Amino acid sequence: MVELDRASKWFGDVVAVSEVSFRLGPGVTALLGPNGAGKSTVLRLVCGLASPSQGEVRIFGGDPRADHRLYRRLGLVPQQQALFDAMTALRFVALTASLHGVTAPEAMAAEALCVVELDPGDGRGLETYSKGMRQRVKVAQALVHDPELLVLDEPLDGLDPRQRARLIGLFRRLGEEGRCVLVSSHVLDEVERWGSRVLVLAQGRLAAEGDFHAIRDLMEDRPRRIRLRTDRPQALGAELLGAGAVAGVTVTGPDAVVVDTVDGAAFRRMVAPAARAAGARLLELVPLDDDLESVFRYLVGR
Amino acid sequence: MALLWRTLVGAGAGRGRLIGLAALGVVAVLLGANLGADAPGGPLEHGAALVSAYGLSLLVPVVTLVFASSVLGDPSEDGTLVYLWLQPVPRWQLVLTALGAALTLALPLTVVPLALAATASGGGLRLVTATVVSCTIGVIAYAGVFAWLGLRVRRALLWGVLYVLVWEGFVARAGDTVALLALRTSTRSVLGHLSGTTTAGAEGSLVVSVAILLLAGAGGFALTVRRLTRQEVA
Repeated sequence: MVELDRASKWFGDVVAVSEVSFRLGPGVTALLGPNGAGKSTVLRLVCGLASPSQGEVRIFGGDPRADHRLYRRLGLVPQQQALFDAMTALRFVALTASLHGVTAPEAMAAEALCVVELDPGDGRGLETYSKGMRQRVKVAQALVHDPELLVLDEPLDGLDPRQRARLIGLFRRLGEEGRCVLVSSHVLDEVERWGSRVLVLAQGRLAAEGDFHAIRDLMEDRPRRIRLRTDRPQALGAELLGAGAVAGVTVTGPDAVVVDTVDGAAFRRMVAPAARAAGARLLELVPLDDDLESVFRYLVGR
Repeated sequence: MALLWRTLVGAGAGRGRLIGLAALGVVAVLLGANLGADAPGGPLEHGAALVSAYGLSLLVPVVTLVFASSVLGDPSEDGTLVYLWLQPVPRWQLVLTALGAALTLALPLTVVPLALAATASGGGLRLVTATVVSCTIGVIAYAGVFAWLGLRVRRALLWGVLYVLVWEGFVARAGDTVALLALRTSTRSVLGHLSGTTTAGAEGSLVVSVAILLLAGAGGFALTVRRLTRQEVA
């Protein structure tokens, strides 16, 4: 349904996306990356909102920039918050339904609003809606014409946990029904709930691609710096160093030691036995570079 | 497309904007009423001069600029254009609907007060007819050009005002060739020919003037379609 072939996009001297290639079929695919990684640009390329500076983008076998008829099969939840504020939610969603040639646009719009738990009879203008409600209106307008391809740019932004869970369930179900759902996120934990396929984008490049669990393992097995809180930091540090579980040890206080691992998985296996052998109580274990930025930097550098 | 047209009309019809532009129209009517039938040169000449100097030189271009430049320009700047752009609708239909919305707002706020001003000036049916025709064609011409400008540049209102006041107001007076690039020359020519007056400035033939205005409108429409098709949307 979606195919990017060495697609690049640059704005002046700034390269937003560099030679990204992937193919998507039915199911949910998460586009994961830190802010500024190029996720929104990739989604804009997929939707035809931007043309690639180099390479090719195709959806349903056609060029989304050149063939507006393809939009009949596409639904987008854009990242920006702007809506036609003077309109009611029902009228706004009905506008999309109407332009997509949906029969009974108002009825379908009402149905789509119910799916996202908004009241179709609400006569207030969209300018009065909270961020979460506006987000759900955007989702309703993307769903109202029952598209085969759903592109979601940070769709859970501003939603409460219950709405997040509900929409994740909805999108997963749409994927299971055979639609292609491409969703972007910069939250690793959130992506785990989307489903199995992940594209990791970092610094405009496709850093990793595949099953979520494989990528998570890859992320977790990277070198990292960890602070251990213990009653015997010197003894524990020496034991870990001796066991070959860490590459470096720095005692930073009377109850703290910072270690540099080279193999995250091996460290996890060895840390408890090492503490036992050192006669140390392990009170806390805190990764110091566990933010997504460092994860992505690692993936890009591999 | 009717719902889209209603949406765009609603988006363009801000209360403050309507009141402000309607006030410009009221000024035209008051000026027309105050000319009086005993004005030197006769009411027809003076009515035509008023419609030409105030209506075609200021009211028509400014009112049309406000609505036409914002009808697609505002969505482009505030990020809502994506909701229009991603519809499975030919781009020319989107632009035509947008221009329809702009004309819906601009025509009543220009043609009606200027026709009333022409009536109030005592210029008679001939002047009123000439006013309605020249205003209508002028609004159509300016709408096409300013809709394109709204998509093409940021702060289109400022650029449009500069065009109206500086280019049409001063530069275009420098010579006949430059004057051809000012729509005002053609709208005034249409008014002059149809009203049979001289103060309006009946330069060139009526047919050529009408053709220039219609071509400007159509050219602006075509450029807007081309711009919308090629534009990258945020």
